[in-house]
Amino acid sequence: MAAIELNGVTKRFEDDEGLFDTLLPSSEPDTVTAVDDLSFSVAEGEVFGFLGPNGAGKSTTINMLLDFVRPTSGSVRVLGHDAQAESVAVRRRTGVLPEGYEVYDRLTGREHVEFAIESKEADDDPDELLSRVGLTPDEADRRAGGYSKGMSQRLALSMALAGSPDLLVLDEPSSGLDPAGAREMRDIVRTEADRGATVFFSSHVLAQVEAVCDRVGIMRDGELIAEDTIEGLRDRVDAEAVLRIDVDGDADLDAVRALDGVSSVESDGDRLVVGCTDDAKTRVIEAVEAGGATVADFETDSASLEDIFLAYTEGDDPADEPEVAA
Amino acid sequence: MTLESVARKDFRDALRSRWLLGLTLFFALLIGGSTALFYGVLLSGAGANSETLFGLTTAPGGLFNFSYAGMLGFVLALIALVTAHGSLIDERESGTIKLLLSLPNSRRDVVFGKLVGRTLVVLVSMLVGFVVALFAMLFTGGQVMFVSYAGQVALSGLLATAFVSIGVWLSATSASQRQALFGTVGLYFIFAVLWSTVATGVPRLVNWVIEQLGLTALTAPQIVQMRLFIKYLNPLRAYETLVAELYGPAVAARLFKAGLAERLAIESSFSQSLPFYFTGPFILAILIAWIVVPPLLGYRAFEKADL
Repeated sequence: MAAIELNGVTKRFEDDEGLFDTLLPSSEPDTVTAVDDLSFSVAEGEVFGFLGPNGAGKSTTINMLLDFVRPTSGSVRVLGHDAQAESVAVRRRTGVLPEGYEVYDRLTGREHVEFAIESKEADDDPDELLSRVGLTPDEADRRAGGYSKGMSQRLALSMALAGSPDLLVLDEPSSGLDPAGAREMRDIVRTEADRGATVFFSSHVLAQVEAVCDRVGIMRDGELIAEDTIEGLRDRVDAEAVLRIDVDGDADLDAVRALDGVSSVESDGDRLVVGCTDDAKTRVIEAVEAGGATVADFETDSASLEDIFLAYTEGDDPADEPEVAA
Repeated sequence: MTLESVARKDFRDALRSRWLLGLTLFFALLIGGSTALFYGVLLSGAGANSETLFGLTTAPGGLFNFSYAGMLGFVLALIALVTAHGSLIDERESGTIKLLLSLPNSRRDVVFGKLVGRTLVVLVSMLVGFVVALFAMLFTGGQVMFVSYAGQVALSGLLATAFVSIGVWLSATSASQRQALFGTVGLYFIFAVLWSTVATGVPRLVNWVIEQLGLTALTAPQIVQMRLFIKYLNPLRAYETLVAELYGPAVAARLFKAGLAERLAIESSFSQSLPFYFTGPFILAILIAWIVVPPLLGYRAFEKADL
């Protein structure tokens, strides 16, 4: 059974209808499509990274998993339950680190965790949960109103871990954390995954995703434009490699430029910088040597996941992107 | 179960913010202080009982009307609205609601847990005020009519709860704190100020329409009845007349503040038999409806809302 299953989910936001909007004739209806016909599933036990630039629809999707927001159409199932009708059942087995939340100013850190344990009818030790996320007993006894963003984030994570949930939904978990905190966060995600929990987390920080995810999905403009393993993504994107060659003698630049897969050649004295596809690298070296120059040394930078991510999310039109299926 | 933990958390928050403490002091001073002042200073040693202050005071000819319950009702309603109007929208606007609802709390738990929590805050502080007033009466030699006084406290609790309910309803339906605030001010204005104009205006309007249609105009007693019926739909007025009934006859309680012409038109028929829709139980039912209906409406709206 899939831990998360979305089928043709669309969410359009209308102008918020409050008391006054109900009473007064509203001005022009303001509709924004945040998520457009989205379908995907996450298997049990999987660590799924949900990527995309801000405003791509990641949080709206997550909010639909948690019934903070209701889909305009389509169905959302989480842990075998209908996410809307059986939301409480979903949240009983799910640990959530929401986006755009705020802690209760007047409750201490420990009281937050106790509240989470009580709500989930779990029997965790609050201090143990707090120490797992790196909050000291002293910090836990302070009111959360004085917490920094990073401490609040740790606190919310410890609340999410209460009751050993079958599913962890983490929306931008590393925001507000310093690099050390972000690493601890990754360690916790791994530990939870090893325990058998499904982890679904969103991020625009690629390093987070690259390090811990089994699979990623990339959102853009409300649509899932790619869904694959990190390696699979890497293969699919015909990304640029950068080849730096130190040459003795004059290289035949035109011959290199004429090669298949070469997009740019620049000469900087004894050094050539060649932009080309991964498989063109050998041909470039051969062409340089065939032209009479000697290759003294060379190095290549393969495309990083960052490049792949940018290639997906910064293209002009999603329709131009490589067709990707799971 | 989780309704209870939401309520407990909300109550603790009121404790921490000193809101509960502030309200308790306020009610101790207002209810306790005014009672002490009345029995201790104004009526010192005059053999007064509870009714002297808490019953209706009507000077002959209706030149001067005073009802302690009427005055206290205004204050209780305002305090209850202030306490409750932010209950849900504050959490929505700050984002704490996401923490609350990421746990296995249903939206029902949240709405009704808030209702319970905020109601307790108002009731606890109000009760302290009434206890102080009780001691004030005892110490100043006022004769306490315990049964009536208990009834008065209970009715005050119902009124406060009704306005907490109304506040939670506003909070649940509003899309922003500003809306909730304006809604609260507006509704308070309607209940406290505008209602009597409506109660007087509607029968006249109805009568005018009937006359325009060439039908038989309403009789004077009918007009008075209609006005009174609308008047007692207002929880503030329902509370006032119910408290008055604890200390005096029902007919006088219903006709409090009625003009001479109105009394002439209806007093004798009321004295023979009070229509069921002006009886104590019926008006009590109206007050209870104000407790039950608003949170249900609020829950319906909140249930559907995108957070």
